[in-house]
Amino acid sequence: MAGSNEVNANECRMVVPLNTWVLISNFKLAYNMLRRPDGTFDRHLAEFLDRKVPANAAPVNGVASFDILIDRTNNLLARIYRPAPPNPSPATTPLADLHRSPSPDPFPVIIFFHGGSFAHSSPNTAIYDSLCRRFVSLCGAVVISVDYRRSPEYRYPCAYDDGWAALKWASTEPWLHGGKDAKLRVFLAGDSSGGNIAHHVAVRAAESGIEVSGNILLNPMFGGNHRTESEKRLDGKYFVTIQDRDWYWKAYLPEGADRDHPACNPFGPNGVNLEELPFTKSLVIVAGLDLVQDWQLAYADGLKNAGKDVKLIYREQATIGFYLLPNTDHFYDVMEEIKNFVTSNL
Amino acid sequence: MSRSDLGTDPYDSVEDDRWIASASASRGEIDSLLQGAGYRVCSTDLRHVAIGLEQLESAMVGDQCVASSAEAIHYNPSDLTAWVDSMLSELAPDPHLPRHPHITATANTWADPTQQRPSLHGLENHHQHRSVPAVSLQSMDEEEDAAIRLVHLLVSCADYVQRGDSEMAGSLLGQTRLALARVNTGFGIGKVAGYFVDALCRRLYPPPLSAAGGGGSAANPEILHHHFYEACPYVKFAHFTANQAILEAFQGHDRVHVVDFNLMHGLQWPALIQALALRPGGPPLLRLTGVGPPSPDGRDALREVGLRLAELARSVQVRFAFRGVAATRLEHVRPWMFQVAPGEAVAVNTVLQLHRLLGDRASPEGGDAAAAEPIDTVLAWIVGLKPKIVTVVEQEADHNKPSFLDRFTEALFYYSTMFDSLEGGRAGGSHRGGHHHHHHQQQQQTVAEAYLQREMCNIVCCEGAARVERHEPLARWRDRLGRAGLRAVHLGSNAFKQASMLLTLFSGEGYCVEEADGCLTLGWHGRPLISASAWRADDDAALPCDHQTLLVLQDHSSSVTSGSNNVVDGDDHHLRQHSVVRNNDTGSGSSCSRV
Repeated sequence: MAGSNEVNANECRMVVPLNTWVLISNFKLAYNMLRRPDGTFDRHLAEFLDRKVPANAAPVNGVASFDILIDRTNNLLARIYRPAPPNPSPATTPLADLHRSPSPDPFPVIIFFHGGSFAHSSPNTAIYDSLCRRFVSLCGAVVISVDYRRSPEYRYPCAYDDGWAALKWASTEPWLHGGKDAKLRVFLAGDSSGGNIAHHVAVRAAESGIEVSGNILLNPMFGGNHRTESEKRLDGKYFVTIQDRDWYWKAYLPEGADRDHPACNPFGPNGVNLEELPFTKSLVIVAGLDLVQDWQLAYADGLKNAGKDVKLIYREQATIGFYLLPNTDHFYDVMEEIKNFVTSNL
Repeated sequence: MSRSDLGTDPYDSVEDDRWIASASASRGEIDSLLQGAGYRVCSTDLRHVAIGLEQLESAMVGDQCVASSAEAIHYNPSDLTAWVDSMLSELAPDPHLPRHPHITATANTWADPTQQRPSLHGLENHHQHRSVPAVSLQSMDEEEDAAIRLVHLLVSCADYVQRGDSEMAGSLLGQTRLALARVNTGFGIGKVAGYFVDALCRRLYPPPLSAAGGGGSAANPEILHHHFYEACPYVKFAHFTANQAILEAFQGHDRVHVVDFNLMHGLQWPALIQALALRPGGPPLLRLTGVGPPSPDGRDALREVGLRLAELARSVQVRFAFRGVAATRLEHVRPWMFQVAPGEAVAVNTVLQLHRLLGDRASPEGGDAAAAEPIDTVLAWIVGLKPKIVTVVEQEADHNKPSFLDRFTEALFYYSTMFDSLEGGRAGGSHRGGHHHHHHQQQQQTVAEAYLQREMCNIVCCEGAARVERHEPLARWRDRLGRAGLRAVHLGSNAFKQASMLLTLFSGEGYCVEEADGCLTLGWHGRPLISASAWRADDDAALPCDHQTLLVLQDHSSSVTSGSNNVVDGDDHHLRQHSVVRNNDTGSGSSCSRV
């Protein structure tokens, strides 16, 4: 219906800056071309279109990055971002400097899971490279961006397994243990599907006795079988449709599973009870124009009901991807919140 | 990081009723935020792109439309304006569709730009790139420390070599050898460190009668290359991608001429010959001129390869003629030796060759020498040939930095990744056959390593004219080729797709093909190692043809001929004659000229 499409377009245009609109619309259209109705995914075209940047051991704006192989058997790569090594002398090797703690004082290690609805993007995708660099500058953190296996080629629980592998790896790296008590102060963070991964890895950590200092969930991807009010109200209005959400869940969840699978709906009918687990504290950021917000709010409620510490940030006029470009109040306010959350839980 | 740090807002030109560019924003200013996201769009084009995206969305309703959009060939996705325009012309070729901002009568606006803020974090386009390998650190702490210590020792040693302190360097070499013993030499840094230790040793204490090229086995370079070709996908990727571009450039031409700067065993050409044979409308007349070093033992290696290719061409009914040009150095080659005929579509193919024509860089910042280097001369006559396509494949590394230490460090990490891929790719590739196949693969890998070792040795041990492995990264080649008057021909998503698919079929999982501004790179574990790009002469830049190149092709119908073309030897002006040999039936033939 041409009329309602126009209405959608108009509303959408009103709430985001022009360059943000161009960026996210471009993703939307490109992604539409990649998802096939039969559930397969045009991975080659996806990789071709994805804008990537190489790692750079030479500091840029005070941040250096390098790629690391965490698990040879799975080719599990991660990109590590860190504050520029202090006082590098001309004859020192990049490799040695990069593997030194950034500070003798406690510092946060943020294990970051990029978004992309489990199917898109990589750590070297430009938008995520930027975001991770931002986190380093913001918090003085070492950020580990995990190249987790994506769907539909790799379904649940591969992404969680890879996240878990990254956490375990971090816990064995001496240079990531900061402060006089040589402790790993690790935060799990992610946007969209990355937020979902952060939650599930945090559950595994709680079950296994690895202490996580905090979870940061940016527009996390959750869902369920029934259609919530926000989904119906916002379907197709701000870059995202119920149809594409359904496609991505179908591509990620096991064959035959529905959206009440605990991976998708952790506090739904098949959810795990967290009450007895030492599950970490969470910062959950919800965009008021994100159609899955009812699921995200339900998630925050679920944590509260299980007696877990959760701070909810609700940005009324924010759309998905507001954190990708530093051109709105949403961006700066939320970055400030993240910084406060990290520094106060160090 | 507070908002008060932000300074002035550069976006005040992007207001809805002032999309006619305001005085403060100059035309052509790139939106820096989108640039950080990997897209190059002029601020003044944003509105045009936005409208285009909206129209694209309307045009893409329905599964069929989506499917056909996926079949479209995409080029250079960073150029959003061009991408949107090309998608629209594929999906919505309605000429009446208003696309120009002036014409669109939308009263609706984009958001209040006073909310926009300048970027605090601008990613520089040409940041100094120091590559670090994806070193596997899953092993124990000790092992990890040993690897780091080994690298540190190696680089310190190289530093002393650079300073000319052979005593300290020698002492460090000893320590390095000890450190080597404690490291897993099966993969990664450990594997390649041994070779670098040897190379440093050789540089410090050159053997009395060192041959040119500095070290490595005395084996035939073509054989080493062949094993490298088999052991990993880099050269196959290069050939495949170049052939794609050549095929496309030859469309519609019935007389084509490929100039190959380094024929070797001619591994690239059977696939092209076969593809041309299958071309709709029939194959063109294909001439191939292969350049290579003169054969040491009196054989005519070039001619032998030419004959084999002629045989293949005959079997698939492609009219084919071959000419060999023997030269000890590329800069001795002259364009008239190719005897380009008028009306021929020419493709110049240079796989891992152009870097051999580079010299020392003038300054650490990489400013190029004022004097004309051989590369400039060669590029100039390449352009003068008015080629339809020039395919360039080069190592993606900077091994030509002025500082020895910088070169050494880069090479250490580059070859470490390379060696790692030889090891890892072999394990992951398709496994057929049992023990013998495995053994054969192992052998191939060993010889492939010897091939790489020669390069490494040249980088570390040689200087001046002897140092030929002067690899430079794609960014520098772009500048150079651009200055010579060549324009990039973007490799599209179809080439990318096929390269990717080929990789998944034949190689281990760590390989990655990436698109970078119209060029393709192949790498291992996220580090690009080789780049492939295609170029054509800017019509304005092509020099007037040298009359000497306009020799008319000899008559194909004659049986055995012994025409003679006089050729000048690059070194001592000695005139030599040669004969032209042809196959009788289809007129395929081969000839060689010596330089």
